[in-house]
Formats: sequence, C-alpha cells, structure tokens
Amino acid sequence: MVEAKKHAKPGEYSTLELMAACGSRAIRDREVVFVGTGLPMVASLLAKRMHAKNAKIVYEAGFIDSNAKDIALSIADSRLAYRASAAVGLIETLGLLLQGGHCDVGFVGAAQIDEYGNLNTTYIGDFDKPKVRLPGSGGGNDIVSSAKRIVVIMKHEKRKFVKKLDYVTSPGYIDGPDARKRVGLKGGGPVLVVTDLCQMGFDDKTKKLKLLTVHPGITAVQVVENVSCDLIVDGHVPETEPPTIEELNLLRAIDPTGIYIPKPNKK
Amino acid sequence: MVEAEVEDKRITLKEAVKLVSDGSHLFWGGFGFQRPPMAFAHELVRQKKRNLTIYTCGSEVDIDILSGARVVSRFEIAFYAIEGIGLVPNIQRRIREGSIEIEDYSNLAMALRFLGGALGVPFMPLKSMLGTDLLAKHRFRKDKAKVIDCPFTGEKVVLVPSVNPDFSIVHACRVDKEGNAQIDGTRGEDIEGARAGKKTIVLAEEIVDSSVIRAQPDQTVIPNIYVSHVVECPWGSYPMMVYNYYDYDMEHVRMYYDMCQTEEGWQKYCEEYITGVDSHMEFLQKIGVERLLKLKAKKPFGY
Repeated sequence: MVEAKKHAKPGEYSTLELMAACGSRAIRDREVVFVGTGLPMVASLLAKRMHAKNAKIVYEAGFIDSNAKDIALSIADSRLAYRASAAVGLIETLGLLLQGGHCDVGFVGAAQIDEYGNLNTTYIGDFDKPKVRLPGSGGGNDIVSSAKRIVVIMKHEKRKFVKKLDYVTSPGYIDGPDARKRVGLKGGGPVLVVTDLCQMGFDDKTKKLKLLTVHPGITAVQVVENVSCDLIVDGHVPETEPPTIEELNLLRAIDPTGIYIPKPNKK
Repeated sequence: MVEAEVEDKRITLKEAVKLVSDGSHLFWGGFGFQRPPMAFAHELVRQKKRNLTIYTCGSEVDIDILSGARVVSRFEIAFYAIEGIGLVPNIQRRIREGSIEIEDYSNLAMALRFLGGALGVPFMPLKSMLGTDLLAKHRFRKDKAKVIDCPFTGEKVVLVPSVNPDFSIVHACRVDKEGNAQIDGTRGEDIEGARAGKKTIVLAEEIVDSSVIRAQPDQTVIPNIYVSHVVECPWGSYPMMVYNYYDYDMEHVRMYYDMCQTEEGWQKYCEEYITGVDSHMEFLQKIGVERLLKLKAKKPFGY
C-alpha cells in the first residue's frame, strides 16, 4: 500500500525550501539535467533522492553524472567530481552533450525576465553606460538555446519581471510562438518559472508568461502587482503543493549548514 | 641505442612573465574556481604589465586582480563573478571608469573559438547566441559573430572567429621538463586553449620525471609539441582550487571580496599580498604553512 504523502504545514518550511521542491518536481527520472550552483543544484540533488534516482546531473565545467556529497560553491568545484562518471571539459558538456541534443532539462537563474521568457544575466542599465555589470552568459545562453526544456528559478520582484530587458542574454520565445524556430534555435525553450511567490508557465498559443500556481498564503492579485510585464491569469489559480516532510528532511540533509537554504530561525 | 637528451623547457615564473610584452593577447586557462593561473596573475601585476587582452570562458578572483591593477584593458569572455559570494568588484569599478572593455560571448562560443584557433581554421559554427543581444550587440569587435544559412542545409548557423593569442597560459597538475602536461578533474577549455596560442606556457603544481608521465600517457592532455615553456608553481592557484591537490580558501576569498568593495581596500590588498611581496614563494610564506596544509586535498575526494 502506498502511504499518503505527508505535507508540511505553513511555518514548518521556508520559501526557499518550497522553491527547491518545485524545481525538484520539474525533473523526471532518467533525464539529463544541466544545473548551476545554488538553488538549482539543491533542487536537482533532491530530485535524485526522491523520484528521479536515475537522473544524470551535468555541470558545464565538465562533470557528467555527478553525485556530489558536499555542497559546491563553484560550477567547477572539485566537490562535483565525486562519484561522477566522467570529468571532461566544456567542448564535451556544452558542445557534444548539450548542442548534440542530449540535454533534457536545464536550470538557470536570471536578474531580469520578460513576458516571453527571455533572460538577462549581463547588464542592468544602458548597454553603453551600464549601472551594474552582472556575471554574463557563462553557459546560460548555450543551455537555454539547446536544452529540450528550461526551468528558471529567480527572485520575484517587480523590477525583475519587465516589458523590455536591458540586455537579452538568453532566448525565451523571443517575440512569439514561432520565433525560436525562425532564428534557428534547436532547444524547446522555458516551460517553468519558479519564484518566491508562484510558479509560472507559458501560454501554448501566445508563448507569454502565464500564472500556474500561487504559493500558500499568496494571492494571484499579489503576483500580478509584482510584475511590470503582461501575465496571463486564467480563471482560478491553484495553490502550489507544499513540500512534503520527506522532501524537507532530504533538503536539510543535502545542505546541512544552510549554504543555499539558510536555516529558519528557531523560535 | 643512444637515448636522445630531452629538451628542458623549464624557466622561472619571473622569466615566463617577462616574455609577455605590454599589449599582448593571452588565452587564460582554468575555469571558475578550478586551476586559475593565480601566481601568473600576481607576477603580471608585480612586473606592471599593461594593456593586455584576455580570452577565456569564465574566471573570477584572478582576472579581478588583473583588472584592479590595470594590467588588462580588454576581455573577450563569457562569465565572471566570485561564485557563492557576489559580483567581481574591481572589474565593476574599472568598467564604470571606462578603463576596461568587454566583448561578451557564451561559454561554448569561447571554447569553440579556441578549438578553431587550435585547428587552424578561421571560424567555428554553433547554435547558441541566436535571437539574443550576444549576437545583436558588440563592444569593440565589429567581426564579433555572424549568422549564415548553412550552404548545405539552409539551416541558420552562428559563426564565431577563431582565436590565436600571443600566449596561452595554463595551470596544470603535473608536467615534465619537456612540457607534457597532465590535468586531473575537469579540464574546462584548457585542452583547446593550450593549443590555440602562438606560444604556450604551462605552469604546474609539480614537475615530475618523464617516466611518471610516460607510465600513464592516457592522462596527458597537453603533449609537449604544443608547449614552449614550463614553470614549476606549487600552490599556483591559491586561494582557488586544484583538483587532487588543494581546496579553495574561502576565508581568504571572502576577505578579498570585502576589501575590494572600495578602491582603497583593493590597493591595500594589492600592496599586502601582491606588490608587497617579492615572489610567489614569499606570498605563500605570508599565507603560512599551517593554513596551506589545512587545504591539502584528501583522498579519495580530491579536495
């Protein structure tokens, strides 16, 4: 008999833990997953301990089917070599493996996103006189260009969900449903955006951002008030499934010192 | 049979850096926290090199130091930050001053540009950058990238120009005096980068006898044919990491990041740890044996 899933109650988990659980659920068993450090890494490690035990995690620096036991700070961190099946280089990971068509899902972050899921990780402000220089593409553009589907995890702020990006680093649906094909991209594009308020997807017809679920305690109105771009809200929006007790216990074991998911203050 | 005497390509770190004249173009090895040529960066600062152009996929504290000390004026690059901590403080400041220019590519684009240079072909095709500002906007390279219709299939393809820099600088794990180099763990874009430069300088954690290399030739990722000079440079990536040799020193990296939030803080760091010491050895002495030994890699983990 399958035991019913026990969900954590409000107050028993943090928003970051909920976001990691959402990311984890986007990974299916046996998939090849490209992830960065931070929350995407924690989410993919959770998936491997839950429902996707045979998922293969690839880090662009060159680690294939990594099984890291310790949390890594860098994408090239030696910790990621632990029980990996191969340690190679970028031409292999981003070229042969990703562009060659073997990557199912890529996890990325962004400083800005627009309603077509285009992403900015390069400049804030004017290109000729930028206010802030962000880290740049790294492998982000490559992953978003060629993975079969993309999951974006980012902080939800009004100034981050914009009508027009300051700089387009990675391609979402560009300007509409056929644009990826038109410009020659191979990958499928973004399917899920996880924030600290909600989960969003993309409307099948228009390929514009669409609200999928709101996190417990958050309303659809609150989400709409916190974007500066169009957001499709279609009828009643269900609540995000909270983390299960099992997911929470595993998450806390994956990141025991709270490097990416700080421990909630004990009352 | 008489055994041929092998060429001895060993020179000192100081001699290697002297070869790099102002205005040179460098392939910069290592990837993220892994095997950056940190000691080489420090010596470039000590010898007051100027106006260099750096080509690399992603680098962190090493290129931030080169930017703070005004060694570099141009980057062709995909990524820089201090992962796990924040944005690169000196580069940020130099961009605002207008003393550094950056041409942005993706990681695959840069890696392919090195592969193209190594292969001796003028460009490489790829399927990234399409539909984005990486393609639409350029800073100083008018020939940054082009989209063509494939002459065989009609499919849209991006072409990026190959790179053959004056020097390739790579920090390896082991090398023999002839220049056969082995790298443990991830190789980043070093295999291609080491073959793209007009001259390649390999620094390594240890210089080993050729018999060590030749006992496991499958581990050699840079054969001596590509290598002009060899430099013995233990702890040459500190405070970053070398797989199987040592872990990163996040306490030091954090201190660097905090100090560099202001120009005065950066100048203080530079004087204390780079220009205020005479050599890489003196720098290591300043860090201290105890601290370094704590970072030594443990078996079988490699960190």
